Amino acid sequence: MKNPLNKRFIRELKQEAGKYLVIFILLVTIIGFVSGFLVADGSMRITYDGSFEKYNIEDGYFDVSKEMTENQKAAVEENDVAVYENYYVEQNLTNESTLRIFQNRTDVDKACLMEGAFPAKAGEIAIDRMYADNNKIQIGDTISTGSRKWRVTGYVALSDYSALFSNNNDTMFDAVKFGVAVVAAEEFETFRTKELNYRYSWVYDTKPANETKENNIAEDLMKSIGKVVTLEAFVPQYQNQSIHFTGNDMGSDKAMMEMLLYIVVVILAFVFGSTISNTITREANTIGTLRASGYTRCELVRHYLVLPLIVTIAGAAVGNVLGYTVMPNIVKNMYYGSYSLTKYETILNADAFFRTTVIPLVAMLVINLLILSYKLTLSPLQFLRRDLRRRKAKRAIRLGNRISFFARFRLRIIFQNRSNYLMLFIGILFANLLLLFGMGLPVVLEHYQENIQQNMFSKYQYMLNVPTSILSSDSKVKSLLSMMEFSYGVETDNETAEKFSAYSLNTTDDICDSEEILLYGIVDDSKYISIDFADLAAESDTEKQGTSNQELTNSVYVSSAYADKYQLKPGDTVNLKEKYKDDTYQFQVSGIYPYIGTLCIFMPQEQLNRIFDMEDDYFAGYFADTEITDINTKYIGSVVDLEALTKVSRQLDVSMGNMMYLVDGFAILIFIVLIYLLSKLVIEKNAQSISMTKILGYSNGEIGRLYIFATSLMVVLSLLVTIVVDYFLIVWLFRVMMLKSMSGWIQFEIDKSVYIHMFITGILTYAVVALMEFRKIQKVPMDEALKNAE
Amino acid sequence: MFLEINNIKKSFGEGDSRIEVLKGIGLGIERGEFCVLLGPSGCGKSTLLNIIGGIDHSDEGYISIDGEKTGEMKEKKLTLYRRKHLGYIFQMYNLIPNLTVRENIEVGAYLSDHPFDINEMLKTLGIYEHQYKLPNQLSGGQQQRTAIGRALIKNPDILLCDEPTGALDYRTSKEILKLIETVNQKYGNTIVMVTHNDAIKHMADYVVHLKDGTIRKKYRNENKISADELDW
Repeated sequence: MKNPLNKRFIRELKQEAGKYLVIFILLVTIIGFVSGFLVADGSMRITYDGSFEKYNIEDGYFDVSKEMTENQKAAVEENDVAVYENYYVEQNLTNESTLRIFQNRTDVDKACLMEGAFPAKAGEIAIDRMYADNNKIQIGDTISTGSRKWRVTGYVALSDYSALFSNNNDTMFDAVKFGVAVVAAEEFETFRTKELNYRYSWVYDTKPANETKENNIAEDLMKSIGKVVTLEAFVPQYQNQSIHFTGNDMGSDKAMMEMLLYIVVVILAFVFGSTISNTITREANTIGTLRASGYTRCELVRHYLVLPLIVTIAGAAVGNVLGYTVMPNIVKNMYYGSYSLTKYETILNADAFFRTTVIPLVAMLVINLLILSYKLTLSPLQFLRRDLRRRKAKRAIRLGNRISFFARFRLRIIFQNRSNYLMLFIGILFANLLLLFGMGLPVVLEHYQENIQQNMFSKYQYMLNVPTSILSSDSKVKSLLSMMEFSYGVETDNETAEKFSAYSLNTTDDICDSEEILLYGIVDDSKYISIDFADLAAESDTEKQGTSNQELTNSVYVSSAYADKYQLKPGDTVNLKEKYKDDTYQFQVSGIYPYIGTLCIFMPQEQLNRIFDMEDDYFAGYFADTEITDINTKYIGSVVDLEALTKVSRQLDVSMGNMMYLVDGFAILIFIVLIYLLSKLVIEKNAQSISMTKILGYSNGEIGRLYIFATSLMVVLSLLVTIVVDYFLIVWLFRVMMLKSMSGWIQFEIDKSVYIHMFITGILTYAVVALMEFRKIQKVPMDEALKNAE
Repeated sequence: MFLEINNIKKSFGEGDSRIEVLKGIGLGIERGEFCVLLGPSGCGKSTLLNIIGGIDHSDEGYISIDGEKTGEMKEKKLTLYRRKHLGYIFQMYNLIPNLTVRENIEVGAYLSDHPFDINEMLKTLGIYEHQYKLPNQLSGGQQQRTAIGRALIKNPDILLCDEPTGALDYRTSKEILKLIETVNQKYGNTIVMVTHNDAIKHMADYVVHLKDGTIRKKYRNENKISADELDW
């Protein structure tokens, strides 16, 4: 015989449709979203990893100033590599962006057609899909430089530009101001020779086994090529941010998404636990009778466990269906909003199923099993007597008669429901955290862009590009000639220009990926950096320590961005290392220079030059307040201007902007569900008392003021307290996020108006729920008190 | 002796507030007997019933049912014992509100390997026509009949009734008592009923008067009358 208690399930679902429905919706939303994210993320990862072989992505590229001869090419290929022409031109368009145009490549770095058609003839162009999205360029539109025009025939993703870095030295790419495109051979031939950039890509005949071997092979290759041609740039694939940035970033949000799911599931499990506890209290007599009649504790635990599990399974099932159908497109669009990835195909993922279905189910089962087992350990007699307290009843907290009756009544309700209100507090804490992130991030980015504008050293900062030929040539004469040519070519007559030295090292921090720190060597009495280095000179100790590791102790200033991110203060020591070598350097922080633009270190120019064995007159760039126009552009590696400094924030804005609306919506959903469920519990728990107060002659309004006001008070308090707690939490989380997955530093700094918005959102959400609860109070029948008056 | 109650003592509270509710109760009930425990409120009759039913423990003494001492049983065995041999009826019916009359009785049937036929039970109880109603659609008497059905359907050896007519009016009480009598005669269950209604003693085989935790009087009723003839 089937357990007749099972017949209650459908009826219970119908009776408590509202409660189960909101939990179901929340589960479907979160499981669907996370499942979709994991499926899309896994599929994207497979697509990305597969693209290396599918589109024959290069193993590296080098730039030369003029086209290589066949003999030179053959000489390079003697190094067990195949070399491919990968010429491009850069065109400034009328929309103030720059387009890097390649001839459609058929052998290496092949393009993936996302939509439309490849260009077939002159005057046609296929542009990067993400660049097109960001600049709202449609297929069929015409793009123009003013003097040249192209009709857009399609959208493409170039396999070697999944992240649209215009310069490999940039800290962040900019898919708004920079894009890539391909044209047909017929069109490419129309570009003038002087417009062409001679880039050659290579592919190893045999792939190196690992990155260290690849690094050694690449260094040897650079020297070998340097003997054949004059190198302007040499970038092995593993250093190419356009190719690897996406892969490194992928999956970084996965842990956050899973954590989001598990937190929601745990909160929901406790909500279920609370509702079950409430049901057990309500049905105490029945439970006592059943237990006295011979029903085992296990049978009852199983009985009360079924509905939470059914709702979780149903939520997981529907969530997974959505996760595999609708959501991946949303997540895919998020990825496509950040990266220029090749065509994606949803691939089913057992791991995603396990994480979004099995783990939530187990969490729900374990938490509820523990709560139920604990609740049902009471004896049948205790249930029959409705004596459900485990500890002896404490004496009631004395509330002075000076407190009004209504206030005392409300306080008693709060004391009685403290576990529910605690749950409410935790839920609101979590929902507010999401809301703070959703509402705060756009403001943080806006602030950052405003602050950085006021905080720049100079309007322009030119980083010079030492030709690779100086470093790669084995011929001292050739190297010297290149050096002389370079030294002459980088002098300027610009009166605002001020030289500085620079060197880049990497962090050695264990807790996050190594990131680049720029070391500035500043001239005495600098117009742009106001640091008194006189004190540093006394402290400086430039003696080398050790032989294998080049360890130097130096007093320096660090930028406030560096200090904030790594929590540095004067007196601390920072350890940095060469990116691909074992040499390490030690610096002592003497002061913090207020600069939020980049993570950098400041020291006197002569000190930097001495530490890194540079000539005394070595310099790496210029600060200037006006544009420098008299330096050959080939010697300018990058220009750090406002646009460059705000790339990180702009890209974050573009890639995460839409997601913030989802986060806001989700936070509000959690608000509604939790506030609704928990305030409903309070009303249900007090149904008998509410009924009794009605019998006594209290009006619905008065009862509402008693019961709803108590919950309102707790909601308002929770909102206020959690906003403060969440501020500290988000600052910590944001810092962890920046440490783990982003280079650079953005301070989480927001206006007070965001907190006011959050508070208002919380209150408005609660107002809706309070209205529903008031209607519920109105519906409590007067015979409720009489029915249960055993 | 089928049901042996030997020197049962039970007290509640500690120190000064300690109250001795049962002060060494001893009696024996034969199989199929209808025993009534009488006494005023607070005399310990419900506590004794709960100890017999294994849902409360005595401080001293033992209960032996068909030779098995319940006090020596562990929690699991005791539950199994209740499941197989005992049926409970309370003053408040404690029905499951979202199950129908029939389903509430099935809740009891589920516990037995060989339950009685539900339709026949519904007819015997006089609630056959109400079988698809929910408890809140029934009168108090009908709800108590359902509760009796739930306890009886598994054909328990002992039916423990705690003030089964306490919440009912005179006419309905008599109907319920008649029903219990019929059940006792038809199925031969041993019945232990706690009541403060003195009139009920006339329909019992064995009458026990309790006062202040002790047995004041116990006797086998030689002039038993039917429930129909009861009056109070």
